[in-house]
Amino acid sequence: MVEPTASLSTLNRADGSASYKCPATGYDVLGSVNAPIELPARRDALKPEDATIEVFVKPGNTTAGVGERYVEGILRSVLTEVVLGRERGYPRRGVVITLAIVGGGSVERGDSYLTVLPALLHTSLLALLSASVPLAMTFSSALLGVTKSGDIVRDPSAADAKAASSLHVLAFSSKGHLLLNESEGCFDFDTWELIRERAVSICRGAAVSGTGEDVAMGERSNDARLDGFVRETVEDRLHVDYAWKIESN
Amino acid sequence: MSTPLILLPGDEVPSDYLPPTKSNPLKLGPGLRLLSQPTASSKSSNHVLTATQAGLLATDAKRNTVSLQSFSNRRYIPTTNDLVIAQIHHSSVDYFHCMVTPHTAHAMLGQLSFEGATKKTRPMLKQGDLVYARVLSVGVGAGAEVELTCVNPATGKAEPGGLGPLVGGMVFDVSTGMAARLLRASSPSAEKSDTVDGLVVLAELGKKLESLGGFEIAVGRNGKIWVDCSNAGESAVKVTVAIGQCLQSTDERNLDAADQKKLVTKILRGMKLA
Amino acid sequence: MAQKSTFGPREAPTLGSPSRALFGKMLKEAQLSVAERDFILEALRENVRLDGRGPDQFRSLNLSFGNEYGHVKLQVGKTSIVVRISAEVTKPRDDRPFDGLFNINLELSAMGSPAWENGRSNDLEAYVTHVLDSVIRRSNALDTESLCILKGVSCWSIRADVHVLDYDGNLTDAACIAIMTGLRHFRRPDAVVRDGQVIVYGVEERVPVALNITHNPLSVTFNAFNEGNNIIVDATRKEEQASEGELVIGINNGGDVCFLSKFSGAPLDAMEVVTKSNVALEKVKEINTKVDKIMQVDLARRAKLGMADESRAENDR
Repeated sequence: MVEPTASLSTLNRADGSASYKCPATGYDVLGSVNAPIELPARRDALKPEDATIEVFVKPGNTTAGVGERYVEGILRSVLTEVVLGRERGYPRRGVVITLAIVGGGSVERGDSYLTVLPALLHTSLLALLSASVPLAMTFSSALLGVTKSGDIVRDPSAADAKAASSLHVLAFSSKGHLLLNESEGCFDFDTWELIRERAVSICRGAAVSGTGEDVAMGERSNDARLDGFVRETVEDRLHVDYAWKIESN
Repeated sequence: MSTPLILLPGDEVPSDYLPPTKSNPLKLGPGLRLLSQPTASSKSSNHVLTATQAGLLATDAKRNTVSLQSFSNRRYIPTTNDLVIAQIHHSSVDYFHCMVTPHTAHAMLGQLSFEGATKKTRPMLKQGDLVYARVLSVGVGAGAEVELTCVNPATGKAEPGGLGPLVGGMVFDVSTGMAARLLRASSPSAEKSDTVDGLVVLAELGKKLESLGGFEIAVGRNGKIWVDCSNAGESAVKVTVAIGQCLQSTDERNLDAADQKKLVTKILRGMKLA
Repeated sequence: MAQKSTFGPREAPTLGSPSRALFGKMLKEAQLSVAERDFILEALRENVRLDGRGPDQFRSLNLSFGNEYGHVKLQVGKTSIVVRISAEVTKPRDDRPFDGLFNINLELSAMGSPAWENGRSNDLEAYVTHVLDSVIRRSNALDTESLCILKGVSCWSIRADVHVLDYDGNLTDAACIAIMTGLRHFRRPDAVVRDGQVIVYGVEERVPVALNITHNPLSVTFNAFNEGNNIIVDATRKEEQASEGELVIGINNGGDVCFLSKFSGAPLDAMEVVTKSNVALEKVKEINTKVDKIMQVDLARRAKLGMADESRAENDR
């Protein structure tokens, strides 16, 4: 399994930014965060004590359509749980997250948007961290596909995703909560349980307990944990920003 | 000092990293929050502190504070007592409405919040003028207004020196992290040593530009640096540009002390100033 | 190449239009302070720019390519752009049965500047799109007739998507360079007509084909200061904000002017338009040479990877 690569604070104008590449699915996503900034007054009437989170997804070589709006909705609801919008300086202000799919294939009309979702989630998280937006926790997310023969595949390619009988995106917080569960296609509850276990081990490396059923995952249980990947990316950038401090000690 | 501890949002601050408890309470800086207070039964200091941002844990045993140092490119959020460079946007009867960071609500600066200002002697500031000001208050809750002042309310003086309108000169943008470092470097307690927070660029510029009349500088915590070299006569423009380039390159390229010195020499030579 | 210099009525220089204020508003960027504006003007009087460049000097140009053909990343100083070219088969327009389609899409998002609102177009977007359209599309830099597959039935639609990642001035010229580079780098799948049926071959089946580029026009934007006494190229955002007016010249290596606009700001001496055309020609040649070099290196690298048989095929043609 080729691990994703990412770097923080790659842009100049935005308050925070991140670039994220996932070789398995081929997506190359750039994210920027502007926060806290003033939004036109019409939007803050509902929750005046909280920050408003705006997510905008920009496809690489088509015009944004229904798929983007759908995935924006998912992202907004996950990120709203994570961002502490009541911290000082944030109430009534906006957190504007812009995600551009700059590389890799575009999601064809009618295809599932779930394949890009983990990349978009990770990019937004890293960009929020880069902008120092207060967060309750971090998270990591995995994309799994179930093939017609019932095998569970991690990060299926576009063609595999199309052929899969079901697709699942799960996200777990750094505290172990299941933050997001989006599934498409036909599957039974036992399959979902296997999916969940596999996703936990990908995201958090946790030992899988319970069901003794052996899936095609034994040989891959050494996958690097995704939450560790998020942490390393952040640490790398902090070491750059604070080189003057860390090296002089 | 041990290697700095890096925390991510949701991480707990290990209690052995906290300053030893004294009678006075621990002060929390930015990036941390107290999730649950110690219960009455457990008398030991059982603070459950968690990070809300990614950053390096910084503790100060003397002042009994703990805070998190986050990424340097972040947007500035006004904090009481910070020094900022604000730009007048417009004025109303009692206030100047100022921009501290772009695309955020304006901060208020009283028309009389200047040293020795009366209704007749207050400065007549226009749109686009700059002031060096201190954040007086940031308000509470939603819709809170930030108030600035150019005078110490207790003494009626512009303290520290230099608060008030900035006339002429040039402003350069740097990261907020860099601005914080520059401010620490220019604080009175730091003057004894040449390098503070790994910064020698200002000291080096000061040495090399002394013969040209030196320069005046004001650092705003909001990532703005005002530079004035009107003493440098004919080369004022070049000296200003050189200082701006030195500060911005040091910031963008995260230069260490030796490279900062090299940069200063190279840029001054390039501008034919040294 | 017989490109004529065309001066359509819309491009005629309008001298001394009062739209300076309009320009300031449409950018919505935070205004310059008096100190910054005065200093930039004062320094230019001494021929000094904040980054130490000469008046006719571009910022360093950084160009690289993604995995796919026509995926270009361009940095001009701190202005940073990604362009992606894509192709799909579609039906030609009824009134142009022999022509393929070519569109340039520029959508400014909050990524490039916090001043831009997501999902809302602003005036800068409309303005830059107009210039790009004129310089590249309407000058027929991409030969759209070559995109026809079957008259009136089927043709290629080429799309250039411009993503502005970082905006620090001179969006127009940067986007122009990136789009032209993308078009020259792009390879579309091969398609043939057999028994009235259009067959599109996959990239694995047949070597993809380069687009038919007729000439390499680029725009060069000049900004004027101090009553037209100082005119510079490749202005940064702050320089643009302090500028009193701009002049855009679209020109190719052969010196054919395909676009000329004095859209806004203070009047400019007519002679300046002539002298600046020469500067623009020099700049365009310089940039095109640089782009050629970088693109050759990239195509050679692809050839080594066994991916670029088609670039050889193109050279043979």
